[in-house]
Amino acid sequence: MAEDEEGLTWTELSGHSSGMPADKNISSSVTRVIVKTAGKQEDFMIADDTSVRQFKEKLSTHFKCQMDQLVLVFMGRLLKDHDTLSQRGILDGHTIHLVIKSKRSSRSLAHSSRNLSTKEPCHQVRNTEGNTNGVYQPAGVSHTPLESALLVEPDAPKVHSQDLEVSGPEYIAQMLQNPSIQQLLSNTDLVRQFISEHPDMQQLMQQSPEVSYILDNSDILWQTLELARNLAMIQEIMQIQQPEQILEHPLNPQSHLGLETLPGGDNALGQSYVDCNDQMLNSSQDLFGGNPFPALLEGQVLQQLQSSPPSPPPPQERQDQLPQLPTTRVIYTSSHGLSSITSASVTPNKVNHTPSTHTTTISTKGPSPTCPIQQPARVPALPSIELTQQPQTEDIDATISLDSSDQKLEDDLQPSDEQTKSQITGSMMQLLLNNPYLAAQMMLFISMPQLSEQYRQQLPTFLQQTQLSDMLIALANPKASQAILQIEQGLQLLATEAPVLLPWVAPYLWGLGWLPAPSCSHPDTVPWAWDVPDIAEPKGPECCHKSGTGLQSLQSLAGDPSHLLQAPEIRFSQQMESLQAMGFGNHHANLQALIATEGDTSAAIRKLKRSHGF
Amino acid sequence: MEPPNLYPVKLYVYDLSKGLARRLSPIMLGKQLEGIWHTSIVVHKDEFYFGSGGISSCPPGGTLLGPPDSVVDVGSTEVTEELFQEYLSSLGESLFRREAYNIFENNCNTFTNEVAQFLTGRKIPSYITDLPSEILSTPFGQALRPFLDPIQIQPHGGSPIGRPNGQS
Repeated sequence: MAEDEEGLTWTELSGHSSGMPADKNISSSVTRVIVKTAGKQEDFMIADDTSVRQFKEKLSTHFKCQMDQLVLVFMGRLLKDHDTLSQRGILDGHTIHLVIKSKRSSRSLAHSSRNLSTKEPCHQVRNTEGNTNGVYQPAGVSHTPLESALLVEPDAPKVHSQDLEVSGPEYIAQMLQNPSIQQLLSNTDLVRQFISEHPDMQQLMQQSPEVSYILDNSDILWQTLELARNLAMIQEIMQIQQPEQILEHPLNPQSHLGLETLPGGDNALGQSYVDCNDQMLNSSQDLFGGNPFPALLEGQVLQQLQSSPPSPPPPQERQDQLPQLPTTRVIYTSSHGLSSITSASVTPNKVNHTPSTHTTTISTKGPSPTCPIQQPARVPALPSIELTQQPQTEDIDATISLDSSDQKLEDDLQPSDEQTKSQITGSMMQLLLNNPYLAAQMMLFISMPQLSEQYRQQLPTFLQQTQLSDMLIALANPKASQAILQIEQGLQLLATEAPVLLPWVAPYLWGLGWLPAPSCSHPDTVPWAWDVPDIAEPKGPECCHKSGTGLQSLQSLAGDPSHLLQAPEIRFSQQMESLQAMGFGNHHANLQALIATEGDTSAAIRKLKRSHGF
Repeated sequence: MEPPNLYPVKLYVYDLSKGLARRLSPIMLGKQLEGIWHTSIVVHKDEFYFGSGGISSCPPGGTLLGPPDSVVDVGSTEVTEELFQEYLSSLGESLFRREAYNIFENNCNTFTNEVAQFLTGRKIPSYITDLPSEILSTPFGQALRPFLDPIQIQPHGGSPIGRPNGQS
């Protein structure tokens, strides 16, 4: 009887649930459990002593999958088939998490676990083994483990979290230091095969056939690898290339600028061609009658450019705007008037034009020089490819600029000494003041979309308007910020207890610049905002309820400039005189009454009489 | 049979404002906020977080934010790495797709809360999950909401998770 009921589907159970408890004695009461899976959740009514296996059967029919695809997790523990739900402590209203494994993964996981044992140095890479082993067999090298270790590098971006441990920059550095890997790298055939067999490179080569020419030249490859190993060289070249952008881009090429489709990153490869051109030129000096490097002066370059007939005008104009490596330009101008823009600069449009002009001019030369020249001529194509990816990196660049300043500010906050902290926050505030743009970004770690421009423009004006600058400087003193907090709290209390008294606090705030001071200042007599009390009455309580900030409520009260101008004494001077004449001697009380009644003499008189107890 | 492996689960908490919120919040918001919290879950020696680029992972402390400002011990889990990857993939296709990111409603902390409950049955501390409502309950927050809403936060240094068999 009990088994029959447990075997019922959940729909039937829920129908019977009302009738069940009365008949049953101990266990089989129905519980409602929530099953949460992949972003949605559903309720299930099941008997208490249902086993996990039976529950899985139910779920498999409900979610239309196989039972072995289901994994149930409760409180971080995996539920085994032989347990019962009550054994695991699953009670009414508890949530069980369900993961439905995909059929593919259950098979591939079994496969990958077998490979796991053979890959000791890179045990995390197991899931990529299937791909890489197959691809690199043609290389015919028997250093399989090292190969796979090396191949982690190009595969790094495609690979998921498990492989990140190996693909971090420090790991790549470690790997590069390994002498056997260096030996591998020096074997240019192997490296060329590595690179050409990589699917991303193949895609690259389809997009631009020039790349394959580059790869065929072993010299260039060797230079590339030399360069990749020598970080200092990369940094130097980057500095020369982008002197004005130096603050924005981190100098470490192995960091987050990576679109790591090529070993060492796009930038490294791109810079290497600059260097390669130099090297190639050095090696082919005899063809050109000497190293043209001494003639690096830009004026000479431009002159030669203008004198070169076959070069079309547009590349020239754009060339004038180039801020980069004069050496590469000279290579071509000295070589019989070829104009070139071969440096790997960040200017995508014109680069595409040059290869065609080069090929036409080159063909007029003799056959022997064309070979070495062709390759450099095709070099610009590659930078253009990497540059099409630049727009995607812009976000990264923007955040990197953020990060470098982020780092700076973070470093600023490191010291724990209170005094230095205040000094540092002072300097930080200065930084914020000087770069309100930075302030906008620094508040939250942002990479903002289109709205960012609008917001950034608004922020400086916002900062100026609210006189935030004074306030920020004052905040540099921690005692001051504490004091302000106290004021804030006091005002809030006042706002809740006696809102009508708020305007009386105004004089104390003159100094902070929150409320503009009136033209004549009598801080010792009476607060300036005379007609504000009346306005304050209807407005004040609302303000206080809506705004959580006492200062803000005051500011809203003060927002109306018309009330600020005249001191009360001047406004009510006439009424004061009449009150005096009537015999109300208390100057102070008269003034207060007039405030309260907004200059209405008769009402003020009534008020005064009341207060005197007539 | 052998006892199941238990993997520790930690919550890394970062203050995105680097202390600025603590100083400026009383003035600007009228209430004290200790920080603008970004959290991530660390399990199986990897850090997982949700941003505008979808669910990402990196070595622990490997984002540009650096080491966390505080670490909360969430508990331990029996969930294995493969299973966890499956789970994350399914989340990444449903509730935590990259375009589903919203700084108030569906942010990094929402993700962390979900994952923590999956892994251990426990939620993350409430001062983190209450942050959006704390901010929005102030007039300043309400006023700035149209500006803040489209903000997308994506700490750099990680890479998006893919399917377990290496295809993405």
